[in-house]
Amino acid sequence: MNAPTPYPGGPEAGLSDNIHRIFHALGDPTRRALVERLSEAPVTVSQLAEPLAITLAAVVQHLQILEESGLVRTEKIGRVRTCRIEPKGFSVMEQWIRDRRTAWERRFDRLSDFLAETEETCSPKSDDQPGE
Amino acid sequence: METMQQPTVNHSTFTLERSVPASPDRVFSAFSDPAKKIRWHADGRNSEVLAFDVDFRVGGVDHYRYRMGPDSPLKGAILSNETHYLEIQPSRRIVIAYTMGIETNGENRPFSASLATFELLPSGAGTEILFTEQSAFFENSDGPEWRKQGWTSLLNKLAEALAE
Repeated sequence: MNAPTPYPGGPEAGLSDNIHRIFHALGDPTRRALVERLSEAPVTVSQLAEPLAITLAAVVQHLQILEESGLVRTEKIGRVRTCRIEPKGFSVMEQWIRDRRTAWERRFDRLSDFLAETEETCSPKSDDQPGE
Repeated sequence: METMQQPTVNHSTFTLERSVPASPDRVFSAFSDPAKKIRWHADGRNSEVLAFDVDFRVGGVDHYRYRMGPDSPLKGAILSNETHYLEIQPSRRIVIAYTMGIETNGENRPFSASLATFELLPSGAGTEILFTEQSAFFENSDGPEWRKQGWTSLLNKLAEALAE
């Protein structure tokens, strides 16, 4: 057997850095509030700051951390900076969480999928199911 | 005075509850029919199924062997599972005892032994599966090269987190 790659970081280098940034970004209640607001609709930075009892400068700092985590994107159009959710960042987190699920949970996912599939194509003969 | 001995076995218990979109009869057949069972029990995407022998009856023994795929931290390793059926109540309950092992130079070295219970409870048009697993992980039998992978500790951590 070949020497396996060391475990920390997993097969993809860089993934653990991304995960670190994502969980760091979401570890703060203000940043979670920003993400919750943005998940409803894209807004400008000043609109984002309005309902919060913090300065615009603080919001900009929080946004920078969220942007570095890949969960949020901002774009400057003219003089206005608009913020939105970046779905790709959430996919990274979803994948990480999926990978941490136990073998049995993954098995039950497959069982559930299998049962849903075979319901649709339910045939009276059950002895000729392809074993793919 | 005796020197302190490190325990060589870690124990964990965890439960899972799962709603599936099928009657208890159909869920049960996904366990009892080998052609159906291989579709979900084996992880065909991340491993190659080398053997999947099913003997579904009290006292029966299943043997599964997998070669772990490129995305696994145990890439290329051969994992084996020996499952003993202890109790079967059609469409209601299945209790198994199983060992998992890794093959090194053709020799199977078990790294865990578990008792697992599946209870199938009718729930609306579907079934609620209650799963309980009680496991012993053998610290001394999992080989230094794959112990590094942290696989066992990862499983234990997950099991602990799920048991909370």
